[in-house]
Amino acid sequence: MSGRAPLPRATRRLRLVLALFGAGLAALALEAAHARLSRPAAELRMAASAELVRAAGLTDLALFTEARHSRNPALADLHTAFQDAPMSFGHFPSGSFAPRPAAGFGKGTLGFDADEVRR
Amino acid sequence: MTPGLRRQRALAEYTLAAMARRRGKNIGLVAVYAAVVFFVASAMLFSAALRREAAIVLSEAPELVVQNLLMGRHELMPGAAVETLAGIRGVAGAQGRLWGYFYDRVNGANYTLMVPFDPALIPPAGAAIFGEAIPRTRDHPWLGAPLFLSRHPGDLVRFNAAGQLTAAQGLVSSDLILIGEADFRAFFGLPPEVYTDIAVTIRNPREIDTIVQKAEALLPDARFVTRDEILRTYQKIFSWREGILVALAGASILAFAIFAAEKASGLSADEAREIGILKAIGWDMRDVIAMKLWEGGLVSVGAFLAGTVAAYLHVFAFGAALFAPVLKGWSVIYPDFPLAPEIDGIEMTALFFLTVLPYLAATLVPIWRIASADPDQVMR
Amino acid sequence: MILQTPILALLLAAALSNAVALWTAWFGLRVLRGWDIASGSRAQLRLERRTGLASTLFGFVMLIQIAALLLFVFNADRMATLFVGAMCAVGTLNVNAYGFPALYLKIAVFFAASLWLILDRVDRQGRDYPLTRLKFSGALLIAPLVLTGAGTELAFFLGLKTDVITSCCSKMFTPANDGIAAEMTGTAPATALWFLGLAGVAVAATGTVSLAAARLQWLFALAGGVFFAAALTAIVSVISLYVYDHPNHHCPFCLLQREYGYVGYALYVPLFAGTALAMGAGLLSLFAGTGSLATVLPGALRRLVWASLICHGLFGAVVLSVIATSRLVLFG
Repeated sequence: MSGRAPLPRATRRLRLVLALFGAGLAALALEAAHARLSRPAAELRMAASAELVRAAGLTDLALFTEARHSRNPALADLHTAFQDAPMSFGHFPSGSFAPRPAAGFGKGTLGFDADEVRR
Repeated sequence: MTPGLRRQRALAEYTLAAMARRRGKNIGLVAVYAAVVFFVASAMLFSAALRREAAIVLSEAPELVVQNLLMGRHELMPGAAVETLAGIRGVAGAQGRLWGYFYDRVNGANYTLMVPFDPALIPPAGAAIFGEAIPRTRDHPWLGAPLFLSRHPGDLVRFNAAGQLTAAQGLVSSDLILIGEADFRAFFGLPPEVYTDIAVTIRNPREIDTIVQKAEALLPDARFVTRDEILRTYQKIFSWREGILVALAGASILAFAIFAAEKASGLSADEAREIGILKAIGWDMRDVIAMKLWEGGLVSVGAFLAGTVAAYLHVFAFGAALFAPVLKGWSVIYPDFPLAPEIDGIEMTALFFLTVLPYLAATLVPIWRIASADPDQVMR
Repeated sequence: MILQTPILALLLAAALSNAVALWTAWFGLRVLRGWDIASGSRAQLRLERRTGLASTLFGFVMLIQIAALLLFVFNADRMATLFVGAMCAVGTLNVNAYGFPALYLKIAVFFAASLWLILDRVDRQGRDYPLTRLKFSGALLIAPLVLTGAGTELAFFLGLKTDVITSCCSKMFTPANDGIAAEMTGTAPATALWFLGLAGVAVAATGTVSLAAARLQWLFALAGGVFFAAALTAIVSVISLYVYDHPNHHCPFCLLQREYGYVGYALYVPLFAGTALAMGAGLLSLFAGTGSLATVLPGALRRLVWASLICHGLFGAVVLSVIATSRLVLFG
């Protein structure tokens, strides 16, 4: 529309910020819609996993494979350290000082560096 | 436009103008704030998705698993117990499960070897069905290459590929090697007629408790794990993990809130003078508070939106790449699994409470000091 | 069990609310002692400056409390999977003795908070803040409620041990028990529906009358209160049956679950909002004669009654659609 005075700066700024908020809200709504739309496919995929769980007789998720209390938390020995949470902080403070050996577990030696483990 | 709305618009415009005068500082504030929200939101979305996945997938786990306990540890189960359990009234069937771990010297990974229940899944002798991670971590040159496992130096056992589980099933199967019973017993040197544990099928879930009671009398040394307990274990693990992450992030939220309170109460001379002038030119106390509310709302809701939107992308589009190192821990095999995207109302509400409230409170409370002071006092 | 995100969020909200409620109560005492709008003394000026802030903060907390009620119920429902024998929120709330008291206190705070917010809104429109004393005595009464609510909630959360055997809703909402839940469950479906229908007619009638005559809002509030009781009874006694398509499942909490399309929220949110608005209208009508409110009050009352009627209408529509779409045939 011609002949209309330009908007004051404050109004333009408010509109810009409101537009940004609107964009944020729209993005969130879009994500919610995406979650909703991908639900049938996800349910199909989970049904396939559930079928495998049934057919093989599985009891646990293969998320943390490092030790038995974490690979099979549901069936782990009672009272094992970490039993209630595989990724929890160690039971013993020493746990925070012994990092993972770079060369893997080998024969199960732990050390502060590769040399120490090799020795 | 109603007068109330017009007043709010004017306040918002004024607040924005005031914030624009300290643009760098405010943009930095929103960015740091959004990063904190991003961290908390990622943790929440990720563990909520895992909880949901575990609940759905493990709902097909055996109704009851019976372990033998010896000296407080999991022991092999004598085969006779299968008959004992199957004979309990209400039990639809009992089947010995054979599964065990194998530490692979080559790549340092732990595999789970297992004999599947379903005959259709049992591979022919000398062959195995591999979980998704096994060819990946063993650098198999082609799909369907055989797997060689060495139990001790000089030993080599060959398993032909009879099939491959998909990555879509990775969350339950990435480290699995499914083999036949004869192969399993030969590989581990297991005597016949023992099992790792026993899975019991129960037709009516209401009878599980009574069946466990009866079975406890028959097998006093055994430990009974019901499907509900398995499901609860996972719900607890992931909520607890999420809680720890949120509590850790709580420290940064708190630090952030203190920073915000400091900023608001320590009000730079500029800002104090600004409020003094506003009051001198006739602004009501309520207008000043409303302006501060606008400021706090714009900052916190903006950061909340930005952080949450980014967290969704992080978790569901980029597979929670920033969390993966923490999750992997010391394990070599980490499943390459997709997560079902989900935005959950309760999680979002909790997130909003946790991130927006402290900031609003931290900015609102200090105002009362200036609010109650005389204009000339603040302007001086 | 405290390391659950929603619990952390609720405790945070409770802590903030406690701090603000305590401060407001303390401030309220000073207002009650020294408030004199006609005076120009320094103390009065200071009080006047701070009332704005106090009401804003307290109003903010009241809003939080309303949202916290929703989060509390939603969370209790969600946590049911962690306890043996629990199927819905009832199981979680029954894990220890503080669960249901915490819920009731939260509901009490919800109604008190709604009334307080309505008072506050009207007070702000009057030029001489005519309701200030009343508002702050209200805050003084609500503060202990908020504090007790927070304490009970904390005790509840601290006492939550997983794997505890708790009781399921089917054991609580059965006519075989004693107590009010059993009474509600035992009400014959037809009686409950008739009662609800009559209460609905009463709400509509008193609402229309108070809109037309611009008075008698207290009667509308009374009808709203009766409708609330009737609605809760009907939900337990008969509406739940229609939702579950099951002649014996009476639980008013399972309604909140996903399997039933979250229909519980569609029922409870308009019901609670409508009741709170009706009570607000009744409360405000007591001040019809107050000087500076004479110009604003009629408009505010009209809006409240309208809003309440709309909420009641929504509730009615949800009930009708639940009955219409159910496969269960109870009558005929």
